[in-house]
Amino acid sequence: MPGRIRGQLLKGTTTLLVLTVLREGELYGYEIALRIRDRSGGAFAPSEGALYPALHALETDGALEASWRESDRGPRRRYYKITKAGLGMLDAHAEEWATFSLGMARAVGGADR
Amino acid sequence: MILAIAILCGVVGLLVGAVALIRRSDRRLGPGPGTPSTPSTPATGGAPDPIAAYLDRMSGELALPAADVAEVRAELADHLQDSIASLEAEGFDRETAIREALGRLGPAAELGRQIRAAHQSTRRLLAGAGGGIFAASGAFVLGYIAGGFMVAGLAVGLAAITAALAAVGLHLPDLIQDPHGIGGNSILIVLATAIAALAATRYAVRTSASLSHRTPQAFAVFWAVAGGLGFGWWALFGLHGYQSWPTVAAELCIPVAAVAGALLRTERPFVRAPRLAIVVGLIAVIVLPLILFAATGVSSVSVSTTGEATSFQMSDLHLDTVAPMAPTKWLPEAEVISGDYTVDYASGATVVSADRLAGPSSSTPDTTLPIQPLLSNWRDIRFEAWHAISIDLPGPGGIDTHYTSPFAVQPATLHGDSLSASFSFQKYRNAGSWWIVLTAVGPDGHRYRLDIGGGDSTSFNGSAWDWLTAPQ
Repeated sequence: MPGRIRGQLLKGTTTLLVLTVLREGELYGYEIALRIRDRSGGAFAPSEGALYPALHALETDGALEASWRESDRGPRRRYYKITKAGLGMLDAHAEEWATFSLGMARAVGGADR
Repeated sequence: MILAIAILCGVVGLLVGAVALIRRSDRRLGPGPGTPSTPSTPATGGAPDPIAAYLDRMSGELALPAADVAEVRAELADHLQDSIASLEAEGFDRETAIREALGRLGPAAELGRQIRAAHQSTRRLLAGAGGGIFAASGAFVLGYIAGGFMVAGLAVGLAAITAALAAVGLHLPDLIQDPHGIGGNSILIVLATAIAALAATRYAVRTSASLSHRTPQAFAVFWAVAGGLGFGWWALFGLHGYQSWPTVAAELCIPVAAVAGALLRTERPFVRAPRLAIVVGLIAVIVLPLILFAATGVSSVSVSTTGEATSFQMSDLHLDTVAPMAPTKWLPEAEVISGDYTVDYASGATVVSADRLAGPSSSTPDTTLPIQPLLSNWRDIRFEAWHAISIDLPGPGGIDTHYTSPFAVQPATLHGDSLSASFSFQKYRNAGSWWIVLTAVGPDGHRYRLDIGGGDSTSFNGSAWDWLTAPQ
């Protein structure tokens, strides 16, 4: 699919993407999926089926806190908020990703040659 | 003093913490928030609602506490609503939008398994195990207090019924048969303990499930086995005191209650009785018996004694049931064998000793004589313990002639100038009232009595296992 990154490449990036968008504020599940797609210009569209297990796992690990609140429109939503531990996890993941992507860029594009 | 305050604070802290944990568990295992957007019934028109069917399949794989399941269902239902609305805005018809939205979430069962795995971490499992032990401790104490009130009400009710039956001439059989009147208390305490055991395992299951994000069924067998073994060991070997068949039966109810507490209805809260029912129950259990006592006048029953001295003959002791008295040619009248017995409270043993004294006709009464010469004339010297007529009844006591042999025999051993032996009457099921006599085989080969002995009564004291393995 042109303009979209294949699913295999996205494996393992859901956590980083979720923590990144939640750094900007509290969101509920569907909003998180939309925000990731919008921020990446449609390049990243994580599987919705992978999103909720990732959210719940991050909550179990203490990286996120969830609470039920009334939304601006529609029914009550389960909002997620990043915690201090989550911010630390985000930094670690971001650094890891930067190292990985730089390495990939060098290997594939020959940037240092 | 400081230690007592520290212990009190510790117990109060335990109870407060346990109650908080139990209430939190009740909330998590309860129905949860839910929303109207989580249908679980077919849509109108009889056709199955694909969203509800999807959520049902997903929920079936969750194996989480009820509140968590409700939360996940509600969250995914909200997600699907948003997704479907968005797809419809893009121009999809309703049916296609639903199919597309469900497809984006992937297979329902797989999603359920992944969400379950996200919830059930090893850390939460350990927290569940620890929390279960903590909640069990608090629930045991609280259950014991509640059980105490319940059995107290039961005791009052039974006493009222007994009194009422006695008033009309019906007397219930004494199943406990405890001469010291502590058997009834033992059973009540044991019943309160059984209620406490039930509460302990029940809340261990619910708290473990809540903290580990698992269903109560996931812990039921574990806590049933642990509770059954733990409380079973305690009931058999740990509870010491007066025993009888009813007491032992009640003690064996403790592990059964523990197993039942872990297995029965743990996914649901206790039935909450209406306040009015509690008040009516208290009146029925406490007030009505008091009225009954007053009406029948049983509360004023007392044992009256005349205080008259009762004269009795030596033959009233029925000592010849044991053996004839030793002939004077082998035990001169000027000498008597005098026995004594004391209870060693550390071991519970009754220590018996006998001395050879210069008798009443001697010029030096009550002088202790060397007992060794007896050993040359007599052999197989032993103390015999016989069932006796209760010394609590009017009369001198003495041998119960329903029996033709002693229930316990101990060889007399020489210690200085005394013969002695030790009996563990507290370990005999039916020792009750007993009478101990010193006997020996004389030169003619016949057994004779060397003294008139003495008696008392003993209640069984030990564990349920001691009772089950005790001699009659």
